[in-house]
Amino acid sequence: MALPHEIVLKNKEVNQVDLSAVSGDLGILADHVPTIEQLKPGVIDIMADTGAEKYFVSGGFAIMNPNSVLNINAIEAFKLEDIDAQAVASNLEESQRLASNAKDEITKEAAAIEVELYEALQTALSAKSK
Amino acid sequence: MFARSAITTRTAVPALNAVGQTRNMATLKEIQNRLKSVTNISKITASMKMIASTKTTRAQRAMNVARQYGQVSNDFVKQSEVKKAENAKEILITASSDKGLCGGIHSSLSRYSRRYLNEHPDTPLVVIGDKGKVQLQRVYPQNIAYSFNQIGSTIPTFDESSGISSVILSDKAIEFDNAKLVYNQFVSAIAFETSEIENFPISQIVEAPNFKAYEVQEEVLENLNEFLFANTMHWALVEGHAAEMAAKRTAMENATKNAGDMIQRLTLQYNRGRQTVITNELIEIITGASAL
Repeated sequence: MALPHEIVLKNKEVNQVDLSAVSGDLGILADHVPTIEQLKPGVIDIMADTGAEKYFVSGGFAIMNPNSVLNINAIEAFKLEDIDAQAVASNLEESQRLASNAKDEITKEAAAIEVELYEALQTALSAKSK
Repeated sequence: MFARSAITTRTAVPALNAVGQTRNMATLKEIQNRLKSVTNISKITASMKMIASTKTTRAQRAMNVARQYGQVSNDFVKQSEVKKAENAKEILITASSDKGLCGGIHSSLSRYSRRYLNEHPDTPLVVIGDKGKVQLQRVYPQNIAYSFNQIGSTIPTFDESSGISSVILSDKAIEFDNAKLVYNQFVSAIAFETSEIENFPISQIVEAPNFKAYEVQEEVLENLNEFLFANTMHWALVEGHAAEMAAKRTAMENATKNAGDMIQRLTLQYNRGRQTVITNELIEIITGASAL
């Protein structure tokens, strides 16, 4: 799993990876059919023999190759425990306000993307605490 | 007769000495000034070298990450074994920067670009960085579609790389299939090599022999195209930046060494000049004294 500024995981042997894709949530096992999925803001759950790790990604692409290598390019990824719920809530309010007050298409779109991101964050955090 | 000759010598020698002394004094002052300025320059280049070496370590770390990021992104492209289409339209993107004093970085990039543009004169050109723009503008001003600046003083962020790629992709006036990104590959701390990354458009990748294996939805293909382009751009920019910092370090190191050599030479010259003046004064005094 690679970010432009950090390689989060490299050559890690895993059993299953759950992704949140634009086309829907899916779980990838070894020797899965090669696929290319666009990721929407959400949680990537990586299950290996050593345990499970959850990362929240802001978006990107996950590409499953024929040689059973899963490549994930994301822009930002953080472990759920590193995310501050308070900040998420206040930023969500801010983005929603921006989205409703937006004068032009571009600002509206940008704000809508932010809202989607923060809502996904909230869902992820609440799911974790459950 | 003896006294007369002594008198004549006494009057003659001081006159000669005065001229010789003024000549020597002028040169001495000159040498002193040069010495002062070269010492200042060597201090400046030494500090620039230190700054460049800290920037190099940081840039190298970022480059290793960005390189892997770009390679991961291009992994499926490689595996698909895509071949460039016969009459693919190309665009040349030269990743230089705004700052100089980095040795042959920018001239190497422009030489590579010029060689390519010589063979393919219709290729639109995008130049990133003022130094590269100035050099390429002289020879191929009509090819330049876009130029970007304010890049290169810090490690390029993904924000910048994706910004640049969206501008290029969204401009409908520039049509292209393949993009050639010309950048400086970081070979080692003292060596770089100008090379290129070929970015394939998604339209060609889907035609590739091994791509049939991949399941993908139509809607994401366009996004994938943009994403791939931005990732490759980011790789080229960050690696180019690392190569530039390393070259700057080497250039400043050489400059400091040369300045040090000059200082040694000038100091020797100065001391020799000073000693000549003193010797002449002594001769004057002694001959004057011996005449008495």
